Amino acid sequence: MNYIKTLIQNLVSGPSTVSYPFGPAWTPDNFRGRIEFKLSSCTACRACEQVCAPGAIRFDKTPEGLRFMMWHNTCVFCGLCEHYCPTDAIKQTTDWHMAHTVDQEYGMAIRETIAYVTCTGCNAKTLSSAPNPAGVEPPFTAEEIEQHRNLCPACRKKALAERGAAS
Amino acid sequence: MNLKQMISAQARRMAARSPWIYRINAGSCNGCDVECATTALIPRYDVERLGCQYCGSPRHADIVLVTGPLTARVKESVLRVYAEVPDPKVTVAVGVCPISGGIFRDGYAVLAPLSKYIPVDVNVPGCAPRPQAIIEGIAQAIEIWRGRL
Repeated sequence: MNYIKTLIQNLVSGPSTVSYPFGPAWTPDNFRGRIEFKLSSCTACRACEQVCAPGAIRFDKTPEGLRFMMWHNTCVFCGLCEHYCPTDAIKQTTDWHMAHTVDQEYGMAIRETIAYVTCTGCNAKTLSSAPNPAGVEPPFTAEEIEQHRNLCPACRKKALAERGAAS
Repeated sequence: MNLKQMISAQARRMAARSPWIYRINAGSCNGCDVECATTALIPRYDVERLGCQYCGSPRHADIVLVTGPLTARVKESVLRVYAEVPDPKVTVAVGVCPISGGIFRDGYAVLAPLSKYIPVDVNVPGCAPRPQAIIEGIAQAIEIWRGRL
């Protein structure tokens, strides 16, 4: 007699077909989708390039700075780059609307440049990378982050040491 | 307009509603094939709402779904089967493998990208793409196919 119960349930609950593409589709909250890159948080440590299994992430040295390139058409959504990113500069979103016609193939990429700046301490050429790994104590104020952004690694180390001694 | 032209125009109008789909496995790991089968066979995703139907013979097909990175071993077979699909046809690359090689990129036995050998029209990236994403790609392919009729 179980089938009668199922039959009535089906009559009441209606069709189980998802209405997509004519309506919205449900997406799980922890769905691993399109990669997002936040340039202001990147420390240029290149850990994501190391761990990216299909080689979707690449760093190039250009005259303007270090260029971060990521091609969505090679990404396998494993999430290793997000896991290893010390500053949460790379995040996986739940966006899966990635089907595209072939003329947009090479537009499906992230191209951002971490610019070269002149170090305010010693006038050397250095990368304007974020100094603040997530969850590291002591946290910096916004002004301190801006100051450290314009320092070379050696001057930054010195500035951090002096800051620590002062507090 | 003579009778032949009338029949031809009518056939075009009717055919535009129901493209048939054919799947080619070009050395896929079977993940994308499972998702393609899910898209067609499970009522939850039901690609037949778009008028599509999976067919068993390449000679009946209008839209070709290709999965897999095109391994050296299946290359000749894939090209032969693809040549049997009558024009006008639309090719959809399902998964990242046929688009760029994905995890097998630059492998010695892998000839990806597929577009070096076959004119691809729509890309559906994902590893594997979820069924809704495949439906999205097929919907784009149907639009292209209607333009070619």
